[in-house]
Order: sequence, then C-alpha cells, then structure tokens
Amino acid sequence: MKHTNDVILETVTSVITFIIFLFAVHLFFAGHYTPGGGFVGGLMTSAALVLVLLAFDLKTLRTILPFDYKWITTLGLLISVLTASGALLFNVPFFTHAYDYFDLPLFGKTSLHTAMLFDLGVYLVVVGVTMTIIQTIGESD
Amino acid sequence: MAFQILLNFFLAFLWMFLSGSFTTSAFLIGYLLGLLIMFAMRRTFKTRFYLGPVVALTALLLRFLYELIVANFQVLSIILKPRLDIKPGIFAYETELTHGWQVTLLSLLITLTPGTLVVDISDDNKTLYIHALHMPEASEAIASIRDSFEKSILEVSR
Repeated sequence: MKHTNDVILETVTSVITFIIFLFAVHLFFAGHYTPGGGFVGGLMTSAALVLVLLAFDLKTLRTILPFDYKWITTLGLLISVLTASGALLFNVPFFTHAYDYFDLPLFGKTSLHTAMLFDLGVYLVVVGVTMTIIQTIGESD
Repeated sequence: MAFQILLNFFLAFLWMFLSGSFTTSAFLIGYLLGLLIMFAMRRTFKTRFYLGPVVALTALLLRFLYELIVANFQVLSIILKPRLDIKPGIFAYETELTHGWQVTLLSLLITLTPGTLVVDISDDNKTLYIHALHMPEASEAIASIRDSFEKSILEVSR
C-alpha cells in the first residue's frame, strides 16, 4: 500500500459529509407523503459515515462519533417495539398508530404520527447494522 | 471574514427587533444597513472587509465558467482534426498556495477544465503533477494556470 497524499479527498469529504447528512434527514422526514423514510435515510447516513471512513480511518470516526453501533441497533429495536406496544395501553390492537394535527411554532399546522417514532427505530437499526458490518469487516485484518 | 458575516447577521436581527417587524424584507433592510455601517467601520476589523472575498469568489466562478467553455472548444477542435498532432505530457507545477482547501480548489478547477488533469500531489502540498492533453511547452501550460486560477484563488484568500 503506497502512501498517497489525500488532501483533495479529505477536504471534499469534510464538506460533502454535511450535505449527505442533511439529505439523509430530509429523506427521513419526507417518508410519510413522498418517497423516503427510515430505511433509506439510515442507509444514506451510513453512506456519509462510510465516506468519512474511506477518507480518514476507523480511529477518526471513533473520535467523531464515539458510539458502539451494536447499542444503536438495540436502541432502535427498543424504540420500534415500544412504539408498537404503546397501542396496548389504549385497549387497541398491537401496532395501531395514532396521529393528530398540532400547531407547532415555526412549522405551523403539522400532523404528528407515531409511525414517525417507529421509523426512527428503523433508522437507528439500519445505521447500527450497516456500521457494525462495515467496522467488523474493516477491523479484521 | 466569518466573524464579519456573523456580525452582519447579528446587526440584521437587531434591526428586526428594533423595528418590531419580523419579516424577510425587514431582515434584508437590516442586513443592507448593517453592511453600510460595517463598511464605514471597516478599519476596525483585523481582516479585510468581507465583500472583497465575496466579489473575488464570484470573479473566480465566472472565470472558471469562461475557461470551461473555451477549453471544451479547444478539445473539440483536437478531436475533430483529421490528423492527431497532440503532444501529451505530465509536468510538475509548483504552487504558492498553502492551505489544504486552496490546493483542493485549484486541483478541482484544473481537473474540470478539459485538457488538463491533476494526477498526483506531493506530500507537502507544494507540487502538483498535471497531465496535459496538448502541451507543446511545459512553461506555457504552467504560466496559463498561474495566471488564471492560482491568482484568483490567492485573491479570494488575501
């Protein structure tokens, strides 16, 4: 492995990662009425993290985001299951979602849906699983 | 420069609060007024007044678009010639730019203009190795880049 000067890759990465992150968040919130959602948002976030991994290395990513991604997967599954079982408290079948319209500051009239929480769980699971796979493969030299 | 932009935004918000109207137009008026005040007080800033770099950046963008179109037509003429009489080659280009982002910007601009391509950068970010499609004389190619892009980038970060 010849050492090369990665100044272009590193500079471009440090700019583009933010754009990819923002696009991932946009995709995540767009999922209810337009194409998008938790899965593709999670994949896009993982793509941004993988770009950081490619331009720098595992150690740098650890200093940026010191998470154990297995725990992120666990957290996502927990959020999804709790969202689904929250319906049982109101004597309706498992996985019944509730929604309502709220007047939020800045956003105006917004519909809030518990499916969004479920989507957040999916998002975290996808990020966690993808990053766990890539880090595990990357570490086994 | 970043501090000046932040100050300008702060003055614009201050204007909105003073005038009591939280609209886009009030913000823009406050921004322009803040710009005027900052221009009057520009001697107090440590760095250059921030409209300079903004204008330089716009000039760089226009210059890049111009070079892109002209260079594309040059490559088109090379392609459509019945006889291929090009002299490809790789030359070393000593740059005066110091920061990583400046070198990156220069490399991307060189790569995006047809006919030249950055192949490698030395470890100390001082030398760019550029492949040119047609370079009868290396010194000419070096001078053309130095006059066009490097001067503009230096102008932005002066």
